[in-house]
Parts: sequence; C-alpha cells; structure tokens
Amino acid sequence: MTTIRVLIADDQMMVRQGFTVLLNAEPGIEVVGQAVDGLDAVAKVAELDPDVVLMDIRMPGLGGIEATRLITEPAGATVKVLVLTTFDLDEYVYEALRAGASGFLLKDASAAELAQAVRVVADGDALLAPNITKRLIAEFSRMSGAPRAPLKERVGDLTERETEVLSLIAQGLSNAEIAKRLVVAEQTVKTHVSRILLKLGLRDRTQAAVFAYETGLVRPAGY
Amino acid sequence: MTKWPKGIRAAARALREDLWTAAPDPLSHPRRPGWLEWRPALAVPLVLAAGMLMILNTNDYAFDYQLGTDFGLLLAGVQSVALVVAMYRPIPAWWATTLVTFVAARSLTDSRFPTPFPWTAGGLGVQAGVLFLVALRVRLRASVTVLVISSLSGLVCLMHAPQTSYYQNADVAIPVFVAATAIGAALRGRAVARTRLVEQEELTAEERARRTLLEERNRIARELHDVVAHHMSVISIQAQVAPHLVENPSEELKENLAGIRENAVEALTELRQVLGVLRSEDPLSGTVRHAPQPTLDRLDDLFGNVRGAGLTVTRRTSGEPLPLSPGVELSAFRIVQEALSNAIRHAPGAEVRVEIGYRPAGVTVRITNTAPDRPAPASPGAGHGLLGMRERTAMLGGELATGPTPDGGWEVTALLPAQPPAAPTDPAEDTP
Repeated sequence: MTTIRVLIADDQMMVRQGFTVLLNAEPGIEVVGQAVDGLDAVAKVAELDPDVVLMDIRMPGLGGIEATRLITEPAGATVKVLVLTTFDLDEYVYEALRAGASGFLLKDASAAELAQAVRVVADGDALLAPNITKRLIAEFSRMSGAPRAPLKERVGDLTERETEVLSLIAQGLSNAEIAKRLVVAEQTVKTHVSRILLKLGLRDRTQAAVFAYETGLVRPAGY
Repeated sequence: MTKWPKGIRAAARALREDLWTAAPDPLSHPRRPGWLEWRPALAVPLVLAAGMLMILNTNDYAFDYQLGTDFGLLLAGVQSVALVVAMYRPIPAWWATTLVTFVAARSLTDSRFPTPFPWTAGGLGVQAGVLFLVALRVRLRASVTVLVISSLSGLVCLMHAPQTSYYQNADVAIPVFVAATAIGAALRGRAVARTRLVEQEELTAEERARRTLLEERNRIARELHDVVAHHMSVISIQAQVAPHLVENPSEELKENLAGIRENAVEALTELRQVLGVLRSEDPLSGTVRHAPQPTLDRLDDLFGNVRGAGLTVTRRTSGEPLPLSPGVELSAFRIVQEALSNAIRHAPGAEVRVEIGYRPAGVTVRITNTAPDRPAPASPGAGHGLLGMRERTAMLGGELATGPTPDGGWEVTALLPAQPPAAPTDPAEDTP
C-alpha cells in the first residue's frame, strides 16, 4: 500500500498542526507540508506534488475556492482537493466542488472521519459522504439556474450505457454498487467511469455528479 | 314589539352621548402645531365679534323685542359668552345659545315694528358661529343632530308665533346654519384625515427605524457567532490532538479530552443552528457569509475601494499594536468600513485619514474626511452605517463620537476597550 501524501492549507496554525498530528498518526497517510494561505497552497502543490490537499475555504488573500481552481485546473493534474469548512454546507462548499474539489469535510470531524475522507478522496472510486454530497449538489445546482447549453451538448457524446452510469454516479453509488445494479463486473464499471470522465473532460466522480445535476441529466428528487 | 323601544333607547343613548357626555376631539395632532396652538390668537377676533354681536343683540332683545334692558343684556351676554366658550366647550355653548334663542322667542309678546323672528339678527350670527365650531369639533352625527335641533326649535317658535308684527327669517337662517355646519364638518374631516396620515407616517418611520436596528443587530450577532464557531472548531481539533502529544496518556486524560471535544462539537451544532436562523433572516447574508471575518490587518483591501471611488486615503498607526480579541478587531474593521463607505457616499473627492491608535486600554479608531470637492449625489438608504457603529461600540463598552469638523468635513471616533466590560470580579475573592 502506497502512502497518501497530504498537504494542509489553513491560515490558522493550530488547525494545521492539529490535522498534521492526527493524520500522521494514521497508517498510510503522511503530511508532507503545510500552507498558510491560498497562494502558498498553490506554490506548495507545485513543489511537493501531494496526493491530497486539505483546503480551508476561508483564507485571507487567495481563498480556498480560487486556490482549488488553480490547483485542479491544469490538464493532467492528479492532486485531489478536500475542502474544510467551519460552518456548514452552503453554496461556498458547492462553489468549491464546482471549482474542482473532490469532497468536503467539517473541521470538527473526528480523526477517524478525517482519515477516511482522505483515503476515499485519494482512491477516487466513491463519492465522499454520498448522501450529503448528493443533497448539496442537488440543492445548489438547482439554484444556479437553467442547464448550460454547451454542457448539455457534451452529454450527447456519451453512449446510452455511459449516460446510465453517469446518473448512477450522481446518485452517490460506488463502482461496486453500480456493478451490482447493472449486473456487470466492477472492472467494466471502472472502464465506463474513466471513459465518461475522459469524454466530458472531468477530473473525478464528484465533478461528474456536479455535471450530471447541472445539465439536468439527473433531477433532484423530492425538491 | 320589543325592538322598537330598544331602538328608541339606543337612539336616546346615542343622543345623550353626542349632546351631553362626549368630549370634543382635540383637533390638532398633539405633536404637530395646529389649530389648538392658534386658539389664543383666534380668540381675539372672536371676542371682538362676540362684543359687537352683544351690542346688536342687546338692542334687539331690549328694544325690538321689548324685553327690558336687564333681561336683554342677560340674554345677549349669555349668547356672546357662549360664542367664545364654544371654542373650548362647543356642546354646552350650543345648548346655551339654543336655549337663549328659544326663551327670547317665547318671551316676545309685542314689538314696536316688524322684527326678525325667531332669530334676531345677532342671534342668528351667534347660532351660526356656534354651529360652525360644533361641527369643527365633534363627529358628524352629533353636529347634524345639533343642527336639526336648532332648526326645529326655531320652527317650533314660529308655530307658536306671538300676535305681533314680525317677519320670519327661518328661510334665511336654516340655510345659513346648514352651510356653517357643512363648512365646519368639511374642515374637521380634512384635519382628521391629516392627523391620521401623520400618525401613520410616524408609525411607519418608527417601524422602519426598529427594523433597521434589528437588522443591524442581527448582522452583528451573526458575525460574532461566526467568530465563536471558529474558535469552537479549533477547540474540537485541539482536544483531539492533545492525546497524541503525550506518551501513554492516562485514561482520565483521554476521557477528559474526549469530553472537551464532545462539548465543543455539541456547541458547534447549536451554533450552526443559530447561524442558520440568523442568516435566513438576513438579506445581505448571501454576499458576506463566506469571507473570513476581517481584522484591522485587512484595512488595505478597503482602501483600494476608496481610492477607486476617487478619494485619497492616508493611514496612520500609533502605539504598539497589541493583540485584540476577534470581536474588537472585527468591530474596529467594520467601523472603519462604514465610515469609509459614508465618506464615499457623502464626500466625493475628499481626503480621508484613518488613524488607528493602540493603547494599553484599547484601540482608538478615528476616521476624518475633508469637505467634498463637489456636491454629493443624494443617496437613498442611509442611516444603517451610524447605527451599526453605535451598536458595535456599545456592545464592547466603548465610546463613539461622530460629527462635522470645522472645515466642513466629517469625523468618526471610536474608542474600543481591549477588555470587554465583563461582570466585575470581586478582588476579595482572591485574597484569603
């Protein structure tokens, strides 16, 4: 098992040090660096090439959302961003997801939750906290207005099967669950997922879920 | 069968109320100068008119009606006094004049030559004046009743007219009375409507002021809860980290720290609920909620905006910068922010100076601007700013002074104590 290399970006020293201690205590996770604000985070990612960045949304200067955008935008960037929020799951968390974050976590999460989040995000096979993520995306994609036409066109590039898989991703299902639902091998699902991401130019399943809601492929149920 | 007497009883009660017990309205709004304030001035011409009418009436009663000088003087006197009193007590005055008219008409037995009847010329004037004043002060139903009774009493007198030469003047008098009542009632209607309007306006203004205050407090509460939640989440992290910092932490220590963490997480949950409520009531929340709560370090961001608006800003810091509590930092920042936005709004082209003075006891924030180099455009929705500054300062136990400067500019000074005015601790507690 390879070690997951983590960078922590938060303007508060206490938070950075706390998370460093907690994560270093976990097997298979190593904190390789700390950044004090958004700009520093962008620079440290380039320098240290971590697997996962824990990113505070609120930071002076360059905020977490912009920093996430800068870190995840370059083609071929593989680093995953896990957004930290003090408060709750508001549209800024959603903005961070749209900007390229792979998941989010409340700052008062337990050490176990923190480590699990880092592992899920690094692995990339499942949505982090699928139900909450789904609800958050559904709620805020609805507020962001009508589906954007250029996005919608890109759905046309997908095969019928891929569209089906995409909508299941958006409902928060993991690869294994999708495989069970469609009665295919998990490996087949993995292939579908990577093809979907490639065709749509998306970096991970969180982005795929955001995309599915924003194009109206998946309708938020119960809203 | 029982309905009819009941109806009569009700009518009688209404009549009694209108003509006996009901107090006349104050005609002007208590907080607005109006009719009543002019009453002493109006009384002068009224007294003059009453005096002239008295001479006329005395002549009429004493000589035309042949009632003798004493009785004539008495009747005329009562009439004239009633006219003046009608300004203060319209209904009793009306009773008096009507009674005098009736008595005089019934007392007429022989006239020297054809005389106006049942109202003398002066009596008609007094009656019309009193009816006007009644209509001005009591509600329409009462003034119509009064008008009808006056007219009827005249007609009753006519029906039992004396065997002497007279010419009846009811055909002139009654239209004059109707006109006097109508004019009075119309003026009264207008005044009442205006009073209501003023009351309504005052109510609306009060309501708006209260809402503004609540909104501002809500905003402050939200920001402070925000700061508290931030601290809480750091506590929850630290409580989790602490056991990792010692080798072989004891069970008690772990338990204690777990308790701290549990409480912090619970407090956070509650804080999130409070914040949810505060945000849902704050229309501005969408634009402000995500920014970190600012501190004085970030004033330069503000200065950029001010320079962008065409003002010059200079900053001066004196004293040794000391660490302030987030609440004080935040309030100081917001006060500077409000003052600067006021300067942009009201003093285009001015020079603004921001002075931050650190002292052991606290921090002084002083924002002054010179006079604008051109007239400021009218700006709607002002007033939030000063209110917010005052609320924030008061909350911290500080002082705020705002006002114009001699050179035509404006100045805002806030003194924020570093220590909140917490409950005074008893020094005796520490000494055994």
